Amino acid sequence: MDFDAIVVGGGHAGIEAGLALARLNYSTLFITQSLDTIGRLSCNPAVGGLSKGNIVREVDALGGEMARLIDGSMIQFRILNRSRGPAVQSPRAQADKNLYSKLAKMTLEKQDNLQLFQDTVVDILEDSTGHKCEGVVTERGRIFRSRVVVLTTGTFMEGRIFIGAFNQSSGRLGEPAAVGLGTALRQKGYTLGRLKTGTPARVKKSSLDFSQMEEQPGDELMQPFSFFREKSDRPQLSCHITYTNKKTHDIIRAHMHESPLYGGEIVGTGPRYCPSIEDKVVRFPDRERHQVFVEPEGLDTEEMYLNGISSSLPEIVQEEFLRTLPGLANLEIMRPGYAVEYDYIDPMQLLPSLESKRHEGLFMAGQTNGTSGYEEAAAQGLMAGINAAMKLQGKAPLVLSRAEAYTGVLIDDLVTLGTKEPYRMFTSRAEYRLSLRHDDADQRLFPYAEQLGLATEQMEDLFHKKKNGLEEIKELLRQRRVSGCYLRKHENLIPHEGKNCYMALKDPHVNLSHMDEAVPELENYPPAWLDHVELDVKYEGYVARQERQVARFKKMENILIPEGFDYSAAEGISMESREKMKTIQPRSVGQASRISGVRSSDIAVLTVLLNQGRNRSINNADK
Amino acid sequence: MNHEIYDPDDMIAALATPWAESAIAVIRVSGAGSIEAVDALFSGSVKLAGAEARKLTLGVIRNPETEEALDEVMAVPFKSPVSYTGQDGLELYCHGSLPGLQKILNLLFQSGFRQASPGEFTFRAFVNGKMDLTRAEAVQEIISAKSGKAQSMALSRLSGAVESRINTMKSNALGIAAAFEIQLDYPEDEVETPETPMGELLQIKEGLTELIASYQVGRIYQEGVVVALAGRTNAGKSSLFNLFLKEDRSIVSDIHGTTRDFLESWISLSGIPVRLYDTAGLRKSDDPIEEEGIRRTRQVLKNSHVILYLLDGEAGLSEDDEAVLARADNKRVVVWNKADIASQPCPEGAVPVSAVSGKGFQELEKVLKDKIFHDSSTTQDGPVIDSLRQKNLLERALYGVDKVIEGIHNGLPVDILAMDLSEVLQALGEITGEVSSSDIMEQMFSKFCVGK
Ligand SMILES: Cc1cc2nc3c(=O)[nH]c(=O)nc-3n(C[C@H](O)[C@H](O)[C@H](O)COP(=O)(O)OP(=O)(O)OC[C@H]3O[C@@H](n4cnc5c(N)ncnc54)[C@H](O)[C@@H]3O)c2cc1C
Ligand SMILES: Nc1nc2c(ncn2[C@@H]2O[C@H](COP(=O)(O)OP(=O)(O)OP(=O)(O)O)[C@@H](O)[C@H]2O)c(=O)[nH]1
Ligand SMILES: [Mg+2]
Repeated sequence: MDFDAIVVGGGHAGIEAGLALARLNYSTLFITQSLDTIGRLSCNPAVGGLSKGNIVREVDALGGEMARLIDGSMIQFRILNRSRGPAVQSPRAQADKNLYSKLAKMTLEKQDNLQLFQDTVVDILEDSTGHKCEGVVTERGRIFRSRVVVLTTGTFMEGRIFIGAFNQSSGRLGEPAAVGLGTALRQKGYTLGRLKTGTPARVKKSSLDFSQMEEQPGDELMQPFSFFREKSDRPQLSCHITYTNKKTHDIIRAHMHESPLYGGEIVGTGPRYCPSIEDKVVRFPDRERHQVFVEPEGLDTEEMYLNGISSSLPEIVQEEFLRTLPGLANLEIMRPGYAVEYDYIDPMQLLPSLESKRHEGLFMAGQTNGTSGYEEAAAQGLMAGINAAMKLQGKAPLVLSRAEAYTGVLIDDLVTLGTKEPYRMFTSRAEYRLSLRHDDADQRLFPYAEQLGLATEQMEDLFHKKKNGLEEIKELLRQRRVSGCYLRKHENLIPHEGKNCYMALKDPHVNLSHMDEAVPELENYPPAWLDHVELDVKYEGYVARQERQVARFKKMENILIPEGFDYSAAEGISMESREKMKTIQPRSVGQASRISGVRSSDIAVLTVLLNQGRNRSINNADK
Repeated sequence: MNHEIYDPDDMIAALATPWAESAIAVIRVSGAGSIEAVDALFSGSVKLAGAEARKLTLGVIRNPETEEALDEVMAVPFKSPVSYTGQDGLELYCHGSLPGLQKILNLLFQSGFRQASPGEFTFRAFVNGKMDLTRAEAVQEIISAKSGKAQSMALSRLSGAVESRINTMKSNALGIAAAFEIQLDYPEDEVETPETPMGELLQIKEGLTELIASYQVGRIYQEGVVVALAGRTNAGKSSLFNLFLKEDRSIVSDIHGTTRDFLESWISLSGIPVRLYDTAGLRKSDDPIEEEGIRRTRQVLKNSHVILYLLDGEAGLSEDDEAVLARADNKRVVVWNKADIASQPCPEGAVPVSAVSGKGFQELEKVLKDKIFHDSSTTQDGPVIDSLRQKNLLERALYGVDKVIEGIHNGLPVDILAMDLSEVLQALGEITGEVSSSDIMEQMFSKFCVGK
């Protein structure tokens, strides 16, 4: 073997997979089409957002890199939805996209055990049985052998971009597609589909008139995404908001027939949650205007990103309608908006470890699996990297559950239900989202990083310092009482006189700032810890209410189905469900129950059969 | 969202005997802690937890809060593993009055028991190795047969009017859920905060309250449905009566006018308690005893909800029959009996049946059930719910709606409101079909224009 592992693709998935494997001491070859595009933010220059910010922090807690990359390159930071739902609020940062990408490459270059190499993979190598992946073949005819391979091809596998009547084989504008691999995988029996996504135009900053737009500054306090970084100190830039109008919509309508989307050239399915401006105008004809965010792409670039108005209309049409927006009358387009269509692999062909069911040792992650978004890609990349390493160690894979991480929800949804449109995370996808806060991701997941060996000593110290700190704060709150003398300053405390501060804090009208006199020590703790405790206390009751459900959920997750379980002999299960279970190969009864169309009675029978197997083996052990 | 899963560990309860008025009814409970839980409601000579297993103990079931005595019962505790399910459990032998049974079941549900899903006791027996399974399909047969029956029962129980009411509430709740979720899935600056859906919530609350109240008024399950067999002499009324009862209760003979006084009996028609009457055949008679019988028959017919009017297929339609049929009566079901030896084809609209061979009987039962549910005489006051399970679910939904409304008043954040609302959707979903997170997203993307 040339290497222990090969990672294909230098996007957000590939970065995490490569680093995890190398950090776990496996010699890893990192092949990507161009070393100059590693970690590129293909679409919007931002990382995080609702539920996505949680994912970034989960990646961080598990020893991944994404949080550190954005911490080192952010040019604006905000916590979203503070007012709406404290438990589902989430951080987002605007990124200096060139800096982000530069940091990513530097990190990879400095990593031991990781060899970077520029080439395009066109096929995978199989062993003589055809059931095991043993390496890759590249465009330039190189053959590399390894024990495991992680594929993260993003939007590049047989990618094609569209701008009006123009179309071209590309993964991103100006970057060639990775041609050949999709066909090779199809020939090896994989089911691949086509998906589509789009991006708006990039325009020149000095051609815009910001006085006609609303300014949207970042939060005053810039906070790091990484749990292992105490402060974030970066320059902050503002975004700006402008709106489309009737004129804009009229132009779009008049040219609709020139859109490759409506002309039928694009067959791939686009995301409903992130529609192009063409889609918005068609689907919501009554809306008088749509919001557009003008976002800086970096500190030292003139390029600005027009968020909310992605389009694949002809370039001149794009220019025409964009110029109708306040502040954009004289705009210069530097790069046009475009749509991209690409091959993705039906993720139901993967196990919950992200290993292929067809080829042992082959893992897949990122947009290749039908997702969209940097964060979704990174989380999968990290899990694929970790599980490829587990494979090399001969250990059981790490599968996060839906009750402990968005990452768990993401992968479970993909491998159990598949996807027909680019899959993006939403808080609504997580049944137990109150327990999946962004700020407690470390408490939920860092222990795994410690077990795996992805935690450094410095990380462990910080983690335990915080863990103890949180306990100290709670203890202080329990000990101190709300006494009469505080009530003058804080009327909200009146109903709680005599109670301890912990109980008083459960009142929605009371917050930690009201405790400044009762617990003056609070000011010695970092604000993030205080927020954390406040949410813990306020949501405790609600989280407890879910506990019964969670317990039931966990029980079903813990009834494991042995590998190679013979469904054809499970005659009590309906034919249709048996077929589905055979394809999905659920690892637990819980997962089986989420397969679409499987009925409760099938699950009942399955439980009985598994139980019988267990009884039998116990009996045999007795003998 | 959450697939209904058979959890073999919590405490379940269900009526083990048919849902009908009877001398004795059996309620079965199972699950760790179930004996202790019943002890809290039971006052007898000994504590059940300490009582000898599989022995009868006499006592009273009492609501510990109101102190109300519900029924005098015999309780038989079973100790794991020597029980049907292999778990700790109890059988309660109660008096078979339907309102009484309902009170006891309600009390159990308030005390930590959950309504057993169809086939669930059997399922537990299998899981705990109490049943020797040589072939796996046996499990499926039992479980799906039971749940299949229960499902079709549950479906037919839900009258069209109730179903559409619940579906309307469900889709309104789905709309509210979308308005909540959109705020949790998109930031303030991308999606405007939708208006607080207080009006919709109050509307759902009102609808739920009304339906729950209808349970107390309508409930054919509690009062039963009165069904009478009528027709001229020798049409086969008594034969059909016996067929419904599955026993030879009424005298059958080919002598006209065999039945003189009416007979009545409770039967269960897929769980619906039906008070069935056999009556004296209708004909002109000089016999004062028979005349009195016919007078009583008319009285019974007047008070019944449904009349099964039998035609004698062998003899064909008499003048009297023609006269009866000429008068419209929407509580009448016309039955073409003796179809096996009929002299002429079954008249349109009549249900052919043979009380002797049983042919056509299932179809007749079905027609009768439909009649019961769609007939205004049993459901006069508009949509009515008639199963305890539905009522419990509606109450759960109402509780959730109240929590949401209260939460809005208290200024709770949307993530909490959404959690309470999801319980509403789940409860309504259990009555008329599951709501999944993709349903909510569907709503979200069709109602709101989102996405940067
Ligand atoms: C036009 C466009 C619009 C987008 N719009 C959105 C959006 O609106 N919202 C959103 O959330 N996300 C959007 N994205 C998606 C976002 O960019 C991706 O989800 C994310 O980058 C995926 O990360 P990845 O690691 O899976 O793949 P990518 O970032 O695409 O990286 C793949 C990498 O692998 C390399 N590669 C591919 N195949 C091979 C091969 N065979 N051999 C060697 N190297 C290979 C490529 O060169 C590339 O460096 C958009 C992307 C594009 C291109
Ligand atoms: N072949 C055949 N014979 C039937 C059927 N139903 C009833 N009979 C016979 O018809 C005769 C009369 O049946 P009963 O059930 O006593 O009729 P009834 O309507 O109760 O008669 P009265 O009590 O006299 O009013 C008996 O001899 C039955 O065996 C049938 O469906 N097919
Ligand atoms: Mg008779």
